[in-house]
Amino acid sequence: MDEWAVKLSDVRKTYRTGPIEVPALRGVTLSIAAGEFAATAGPSGSGKTTLLNIIGGLDRADNGEIWVAGQNLQILSSGDLAHVRLQRIGFVFQTYNLLPVLTALENAEFTLLLQGMPARKRRARVEKLFSEIGLAGLEDRRPAELSGGQQQRVAVARAMVTEPALILADEPTANLDSASAIALLDVMEQLNRTTRTTFLFSTHDPQVMERAHRLIRLRDGQIVSDNTRNSQTAAVA
Amino acid sequence: MLTALALGLGLALLLVSLGLLDGGHEQTIADGVRFGPGHVVVQAKGYQDSGSDELLLPALDVANIENFLQTGNIRHVVRGISPRLLATGLMSTSASSAGVKIVGVIPEDDRAVSLIPQRMVEGTYLSSNDKLSGVVVGDELARKLELKIGSKAVLMTQSLRPSGAATANGDGDEMQSTLLRVSGIFRTGIQGIDANMIYLPLPAAQALLGVTGDQVTQVTLLLAQEGDSPMVARALRKQLAGEPVEVLTWRESLPMLAQILGLDHAFNYVMNGVILAMVGLGILNTILMRVLERRYEFGVSKALGLRPRQLALMVIGESLALTAISLVLGLALGLSVQHYFATAGLDLRWVFKAGLPPALVFDPILYSRLSADRIVWSVSIVFAMATIISFYPALKAAQTDLPDALKVV
Repeated sequence: MDEWAVKLSDVRKTYRTGPIEVPALRGVTLSIAAGEFAATAGPSGSGKTTLLNIIGGLDRADNGEIWVAGQNLQILSSGDLAHVRLQRIGFVFQTYNLLPVLTALENAEFTLLLQGMPARKRRARVEKLFSEIGLAGLEDRRPAELSGGQQQRVAVARAMVTEPALILADEPTANLDSASAIALLDVMEQLNRTTRTTFLFSTHDPQVMERAHRLIRLRDGQIVSDNTRNSQTAAVA
Repeated sequence: MLTALALGLGLALLLVSLGLLDGGHEQTIADGVRFGPGHVVVQAKGYQDSGSDELLLPALDVANIENFLQTGNIRHVVRGISPRLLATGLMSTSASSAGVKIVGVIPEDDRAVSLIPQRMVEGTYLSSNDKLSGVVVGDELARKLELKIGSKAVLMTQSLRPSGAATANGDGDEMQSTLLRVSGIFRTGIQGIDANMIYLPLPAAQALLGVTGDQVTQVTLLLAQEGDSPMVARALRKQLAGEPVEVLTWRESLPMLAQILGLDHAFNYVMNGVILAMVGLGILNTILMRVLERRYEFGVSKALGLRPRQLALMVIGESLALTAISLVLGLALGLSVQHYFATAGLDLRWVFKAGLPPALVFDPILYSRLSADRIVWSVSIVFAMATIISFYPALKAAQTDLPDALKVV
């Protein structure tokens, strides 16, 4: 595994709507080591989601270098970016983004299907993961038949099942009640501990901020503080 | 499902349209050649252009043609051979007179080639046992000359023998006449035939016209299949090389019919193209709408690692599966309707209440005919169209914008 899961250098992104320009990221430089359990926080419009989208290869930066799992995303084609997402990155979205026509198990195994894994192996791996994160017995339910917390855990299973180097979770607890949020964080923290998978959250949620081992605060597209739980060191970009 | 139905309906329309077109053409050709000069005609060189009554086939050539057509493989494709003597004349009764086209035939031979014997509405067709004075006329001519079965009429024509020679019925004058008795009246529905043509036994016609030996104007051939016409014509041309004759297929002897059918073909291809284009645009719209409706699904799939090319192939694959279902539906519907029109026919007599146009050889009941080639061609065209149409929606799917497409609406 690379020493750095994510390495950004002077990343800039501006959204343009006609003549209006809205800068979302203004020169972000950041490194996240492999196995970290980190979170970005900040007010709405501070650039948290944009930062995660760019790290995840869902969006492209206007400027700067983005290295994820040893790959320079800025020079990759959209097809190669899809390959990196499939093989190295897992996503947990605020709105779960499960496919409504698929069952919980089918949603979770979707990425394995894209990787070409045989059906029996896929099913075995998903079922094992489901039992670990408290979804056993819910395999055949469709998203509409699951609670918000259960849907988000299916999304986590979908992100985890390929054993990616990095999981990006955009406001994963935003639509959950407090108990569900704590349960979900327990699951993710345990996975981080046992698999050494790197987690990077964007969040407003104080519970997530408390649980993160490292908290990066953004404002107006810039990093304003970067604290680890042990050192409480401020590193202003 | 609606898309599948639309595409299936398009194919069904195409099959029915082509079946009626081909059936109509086949019927028109079959009727045209059997009311006219057959699939292949052999006549004196220059007759096609001049129409001169004096251009006759030498008796030796007639025998040569008949012998040749009885030999080798060619005898299997020839259904009938009818030598005919053609001339123009004037038919008169006490009521009126009219210009006529005289057709002298050997009744038994002509039955195998001509449709006239099957279109008798009164009396009977000619027979070799008839007296020489028997004649068969069209119902329009019979009405004009007030002829009934057994009525007498005088037929006057110009002798084809050299001037001054004696004829069987005359005293050597060039104008000849004979008294005929109507033995049958036919109706084809084609004004040009019903008002002008008269049929009499070949010996009677030869005697009237002063034609010596077994000379005739033409030898007409009916074949088992229209498609064999060029092959038979080629064989005859080879056999008669050096003789002062012309061998024509029906396309050459009935050029106007061939042109009308060609035009009709072209028009129908354009119409079918329009039908397909309309169906195609409908399908494009539906598939495109489906792609837009599934933007979220495509966005999630793409975010999770589905490559744009895989996404495009997925849309094309789904379209092809839909097309396959449509083709099955279209074939089932199209072939069912086609079968109905092939057996019961499409009756268009209500369109032609006032009578068929004189220049058109056309049976008003259309029977659909659809060959396996046509079915394969139609299915291939619709399949190719649906495949090509799916490319654009597939491209749109591949271009699904991330991260915008992930927003839950």
